[in-house]
Amino acid sequence: MAAKGDMIYAWTTDSGLAKKAECGGAVTALLKYALENKLVDVVVAVKKGFDLYDAVPVAITDPKDLDQTAGSLHCGTLLMSTFIQKYLDGAKKTKVGVVVKGCDLMGLIELGKRNEVNMDNVLTIGVNCGGSVNPIQGRKMIAEKFGIDPDKVTKEEIDKGQFIIEYDGGHKGIKIDDLEDEGFGRRSNCRRCKYKIPRQADLACGNWGVIGDKAGKATFVEICSDKGADLVNKAVSAKKLETSAADPKGIEIRGKTENAMLKLGEKWRKKEFTAIRDNLWDFINKETSRCIKCYSCIEKCPVCIATPFEGRPESYMVRPGYIPSDPMFHLRRFAHISDSCVNCGQCEELCPVEIPLALISHAIRVEADNGFVPKLGASSYKN
Amino acid sequence: MKGGKIPTGLFFPENSGERMSESNLIKYVQTTCPYCGVGCTLNLVVKDGKCVGVEAYKRSPVNDGKLCPKGVTCWEHVHSPDRLTAPLIKKNGKFEEASWDEALDLVAKKLKETSDKYGPKGLGFQTSCRTVNEDCYIFQKFARVGFKTNNVDNCARICHGPSVAGLSLSFGSGAATNGFEDALNADFILVWGSNALEAHPLAGRRMVQAKLKGIPIYAVDPRLSTTAKIADKWIQFNPSTHIALANSMMYWIIKAGKHDKKFIEERVNGFDELWEMVQKYAEVEDITGVPTEVVKDMAYKYASAKNAVIIYCLGITELTTGTDNVRSMGNLALLTGNVGRPGVGVNPLRGQNNVQGACDMGAYPNVYSGYQKCEVADIRAKMEKAWGVTGLPDWYGSTLVEQIKQCGDEIKAMYILGLNPVVSYPDSNLVKKQLDKLDFLVVQDIFFTETCNHADVVLPGACFAEKDGTFTSGERRINRVRKAVNPPGKAKEDIHIISELAKKMGLKGFDLPTAKDVWDDMRNCTPNMFGATYEKLEKPESICWPCPTEDHPGTPILHIGKFSTADGKGNLFGIEYRPPAEVADAEYPFTMMTGRLIFHYHTRTQTGRSAALHYEVPDSYVQINNEDAKRLGINQGDKIVITSRRGKTETVARVTDEIGPGVLYMTMHFADGVNNLTNTALDPMSKMPELKHCAVKVEKAGGK
Repeated sequence: MAAKGDMIYAWTTDSGLAKKAECGGAVTALLKYALENKLVDVVVAVKKGFDLYDAVPVAITDPKDLDQTAGSLHCGTLLMSTFIQKYLDGAKKTKVGVVVKGCDLMGLIELGKRNEVNMDNVLTIGVNCGGSVNPIQGRKMIAEKFGIDPDKVTKEEIDKGQFIIEYDGGHKGIKIDDLEDEGFGRRSNCRRCKYKIPRQADLACGNWGVIGDKAGKATFVEICSDKGADLVNKAVSAKKLETSAADPKGIEIRGKTENAMLKLGEKWRKKEFTAIRDNLWDFINKETSRCIKCYSCIEKCPVCIATPFEGRPESYMVRPGYIPSDPMFHLRRFAHISDSCVNCGQCEELCPVEIPLALISHAIRVEADNGFVPKLGASSYKN
Repeated sequence: MKGGKIPTGLFFPENSGERMSESNLIKYVQTTCPYCGVGCTLNLVVKDGKCVGVEAYKRSPVNDGKLCPKGVTCWEHVHSPDRLTAPLIKKNGKFEEASWDEALDLVAKKLKETSDKYGPKGLGFQTSCRTVNEDCYIFQKFARVGFKTNNVDNCARICHGPSVAGLSLSFGSGAATNGFEDALNADFILVWGSNALEAHPLAGRRMVQAKLKGIPIYAVDPRLSTTAKIADKWIQFNPSTHIALANSMMYWIIKAGKHDKKFIEERVNGFDELWEMVQKYAEVEDITGVPTEVVKDMAYKYASAKNAVIIYCLGITELTTGTDNVRSMGNLALLTGNVGRPGVGVNPLRGQNNVQGACDMGAYPNVYSGYQKCEVADIRAKMEKAWGVTGLPDWYGSTLVEQIKQCGDEIKAMYILGLNPVVSYPDSNLVKKQLDKLDFLVVQDIFFTETCNHADVVLPGACFAEKDGTFTSGERRINRVRKAVNPPGKAKEDIHIISELAKKMGLKGFDLPTAKDVWDDMRNCTPNMFGATYEKLEKPESICWPCPTEDHPGTPILHIGKFSTADGKGNLFGIEYRPPAEVADAEYPFTMMTGRLIFHYHTRTQTGRSAALHYEVPDSYVQINNEDAKRLGINQGDKIVITSRRGKTETVARVTDEIGPGVLYMTMHFADGVNNLTNTALDPMSKMPELKHCAVKVEKAGGK
C-alpha cells in the first residue's frame, strides 16, 4: 500500500498504451482510471495538433481518448491554469484531473488562493519539467543549428542536458547550454525556473531516476498527498497499474538531476537579474515604451485579475486610447502581481512587441520574497 | 445545439477527429483573424456550441501566437444579441422579418426585373474584403453568370486599388513582392505612409524585431505616428507630396552614381525617361517640406544598403495620385535593384483580412479570378466553358465610387455584401442621398449597420467564426478559416444565400454545397492558384500564390530572375508631381488627413462590441497641432466642429505636437465622422477616391 512520501516506479498494464507512452505510461493510466471510475468528471491534458511543434489542450470525458495525450511535447508552451479557471469554471462544479508541469501547478495554486479555482476539486498529476521551447523558435533552431528540415523531425526530447532530435536518416543532440548561449533553446523564463519537480501536486511523475531494467519502461512517481496515494492504490488494486519500489540509486540520480537543474536556474537568474540591476528604471521604461495594449499579458496571466471595463472610473494616469501606453499601465500591473508572479512566461511569449515582461515581474517577485513577508502568506512552492 | 453536429474544426492527422471531438468539452478551432491583412492565426475556444474566448496558436509562422487587441477580443461580437438573425423586408418604410423564401424570391424578382428593363449596366454589385474568398468568388460569379454584368467591385478600390494598378505597371503583378518576416533579412527598412504598428501590428512587430537586431528604419509620415516613434529616423513631410519626395531621392541617387546600373541594364526599362523627369526635382523643399540634406541622407542610405525594402500603405494610395505614388515606390526599388530576392522588395500592407483575396477572386470590374482580363476573348471563352454560360461581358465595369455616383441614373438596383458605405466611403452625405435613389437595394451583413437603413431587403449572413473558407493575407498567403459555431437564428452562411438565390433564378453552376466545393470551382478556372488545394492549406505555413500545380510549393518571393510583365522586365516611369484635387485655401485653411487606430476596425461593427476596445476609444477625436490650437483658443478635450465643402462633423480635440501646423488627423471609424468631410475626387488610373486629403475649417463647438 503506497503512502504519502513514497517513491515508486509505476507502469501501465495496457500494452497498447505502453507502446505509445514515453516512459511507462503511468500518468495516462492513472488519469484513465480516475476518469473511468468517476474520481474526476473531465481530464485536462495536451495532445499533438498538426505536428510535434503544435500542442493543443483538451478536456476529455471519454477515457478511451486519453491514449492520444500520452508522451511529451517539449515545444508545447501552454499554461493550463487559466484554461481551468476560464473554460471549466474554475473546477467549482466539476471534478477535474489535470497533468501539470511546474508553472501550471503554481498558477493553479495562486488561483486557488484567490478562490478563482476550487483546488479541492482538482486532481493534479505533476510532471517534471526541465523547460519548454517555443515552437517557432524551436523550428528555427533545428533548421539553423541542427541543419535539419524541421518538418522531417519525428521525435524530440531533452535529456542529460541535450536537445535531441530524431529524423529520417538519423538523430542528433546538441548541449542545451550551447544552444542557449546563442539565444536558442528553452524559453527565457524556463531557464530561470527552479520548480522542476512539482511536489505540491498530488503525484510528481517523470523519467528522472528510472534505472536498471525498468529504464524507459516505467515512470518515477513521488507520492505527494493522501489523494495521490489513494489514486495509486486504487489503480493498482484494479490491475490498471503495476508498481515497484524505486531503486535507491535511482532516487539519488533523480536528486542529482534536480539539483543540477536548480543550479542552472540559479545561474540564469544571476546573469539576467544582475544585467538589469543598475539601469532598471531605464530598462523598464525603454522596453515597455513599445506597448500597443494588446491586453494579452493581462488576459493570460494566472495571477492578474482585471476589473470590468464597464463602469470604470476615470483614470488620471492610464489614459484610454493612448498608444504607446502610459507608463502606469505597466507599473500598476507589476504592482498587482508583484508577490504572485510564478514566472510562467506567458506574458513575454505572447507580447507582440517583445517586451521582456516575465524577466521584470519574476525579478520583482524574487526580490520581494527576499525582503518581505508575502501578503497572502508564504507560498507552498519555491520558485 | 441548433443547426446540427458540433463542427470538428481542428485537423488531426492521426485518425481521431470525430470521437475526440465528441468527448472534448473545450475545442480549440484554429482559424484566421478577421481584422487586418497580416492574417494572424488564432484559436477560437468553443464550449457548448459557443465561442467563449481566443487562445494563441503559437505554431503559426505568421504571428508566433501573438495578437493585437483586436485579435485577442475578436470572439466578443460573435454571439452579440444584436446579430441579424432573420431576413428583413422593408414594408411601408419599416423593416419586418420574413422567411428566406420570401426574401430571396423578392431579391431574385427585383434584380431580374431591373436587368430585363435596364440591361447589365443597370445593376451594381459590391462585395466586402472582410469575408472569405469563397464568398467573394461566388458573388462575382453570380453577378456575371446571372446578369452578364461587370459592375462588380470590392473595397480594395478605396484602399489598395492603386497598389494593384501601380505595381502591375511597374512589376507586372499588383501584389506585395516579399513576406512580412522577410524584412528581417533587410539591411535597411523604409516605411512610407504606413503606421504598421497600429494598422498591421504583427507586421509592425517585424519592424520591432528588426530594430532589436540593429537594422535601421526610416519612417516617412506627416505625423509622428506610433510607428514613426519606433523608427530610427522620422521624416516629416508635407501631406501628399510623395512623388516630389521620391523623385528628389532618385535624382540624388543617380547623381551620386548609387543606382544599380547592372540591374537596370539587365532587368529594367525606362531609365532615360525617369532620369529626364527627376532632374527637375533636385531641390524641392518648398513642395515637400523636407530639407535637401535629409532627402540625400535617406536616399543614400536606401540606395547603398545591400538589401533594402520599402513597406508602404494607405498614406501612399488613398490619393488622386495614388497609382503614381505607388509607381514612385516601384521606381525607387527598380532604380536600386531591390526586387527579386530575400530582404528587399516593395510591400503594400494590404488592409483588410481579405482585401488581397477579394481582388484575387475577381470581384473586380475588369478581371476574373487570378487577374485574368475580361477584355481578352480567349479568357472569356474559357470562363464561359468553365461556368457553362455564354455572352460574358468584355467591358470595364463600374467601380465602387462610380457605382455610388451612378445610383438612380445608370444603376437602378444594387447588391451590397458586408460593406458599410454610409460610414466608410468618402462623402457620407452623398452616399446616403445616392443609395436612396435606387429602385432596389439588398444589403447582406451580420449586423444592422448604418447602410442597412437604406436597404429594401437585409439578408443575415455568417461571421468568420461560422463558416469554412480562406482569407488571403497581404503576403499572398492563403490562410484557412474554420467553422467554429453555427450562425445565430436563421442567419445563413453566405455561399448558401448566394447559391439559393442563384438557384431561384434558374442559374446553373451553383451546386456548391461546401466552401471546398466553391474553392475548387475557383481553382479549376484560375491557373495561378490551381495548385493551392485545401489539403495543402492545412500546413501552418500554408501556401503563398502563385501556385500553379499540385506539386508546386507556392511562391513567397516574386520576380526572382524575371518580372511578371510581358517582356519580363520591370518598368521605370517619369512621373510628374501633382497636388491633390482639393488643397487648403483661404476659406478652408486646414488639411485633413485620415487613418486608423489599433483598437478599432473600420466602422466598428465588430470592434465596437468588444468591451476592452470600446473602453479604449469610445468616441472620435481629431489630432490638432498645439500652435494651431492655441491660436484658435482650443484646449485639450474641447468639442470642435470641422467643416468641408461636403459636410461637417463634431469631434473632440487632441492637442499635440506630433502633427505639423495646418494639418489635422482623424480616424475613419466613426459614423457621422470624418467621411462627412472627405472628397470623392478620383485617381484617374485606379478610380481611388482621395480619402487622405481634403480642405477643412475648424472652430470651437458653440460659436467661434
